[in-house]
Amino acid sequence: MFWLVSGIYSRKDMIPRIIIAVLLLVGPGAVMAQTEEMPRLSLRSLSSQRVRLDKFKGKVVMLNFWATWCPPCRAEMPDFVKLQRAYRGKGLQIIGITYPPTNVREVRQFTRSIHVNYPILLGTQKTKALFASSETMPLTIVINREGKVVARIEGILLPVEFEETIKPLLN
Amino acid sequence: MRKVLSMTLMIGVFMAFTALNAFAVKKTTTIHVEGMHCKNCSASVTKALKAQDGVQKVDVDFEKGTAIVDYDDEKVTEQKLREVINSTGFKVVDQKSS
Repeated sequence: MFWLVSGIYSRKDMIPRIIIAVLLLVGPGAVMAQTEEMPRLSLRSLSSQRVRLDKFKGKVVMLNFWATWCPPCRAEMPDFVKLQRAYRGKGLQIIGITYPPTNVREVRQFTRSIHVNYPILLGTQKTKALFASSETMPLTIVINREGKVVARIEGILLPVEFEETIKPLLN
Repeated sequence: MRKVLSMTLMIGVFMAFTALNAFAVKKTTTIHVEGMHCKNCSASVTKALKAQDGVQKVDVDFEKGTAIVDYDDEKVTEQKLREVINSTGFKVVDQKSS
């Protein structure tokens, strides 16, 4: 950081330094939304199988962090079931990742009750921290077909956000 | 004479426009919401309300269990605001709004 502020620079020299300083200040999250590669992750599923996220490369992935104790998370999941059904053929893959404290029995009961048709994996606080520093729940990470994180959607997913952010990736 | 007439007409149009705007009253309502125990979850209430056309300001207090909303009642109704909150998984409870 020191080189950014030390010494006397011409205005021309300062501009790129200021840009880099601003990028460092806003934190890695803002940069990640545009360029970051999906982290290599392997998580346990409800049936105790290890699932690697990179196996979904080539699809448009919506990683949805949710919890049974989070009312908006539960409220939006029936819509995710419909989206998965409607856009599976176009390459949409929704993956639910639970956020602690997780009661696996409750997760099973709830996902069965709404007929979830996409994988549910068991996450930790660290799993979510790999994608976002924000603690807002739910959180949906959008990953393009090249495996790059292209958007982070905090709070419930609004229809307009799906239309504008995710649907264009499916074309 | 012509100038006076055109000035009168312009003033008339201006007054009519102002009067029309006056009907688009900004209203404020306090909606009581059950189940907002988590600040990070209740952010969805703010987000969903702000996405509604006609909503001007939203102040959600998860500790008090309230959502104070400023809105244009020509564009959105209080009933619609209540439906939006219910759609986020929380439950609007009937208490008199202030």
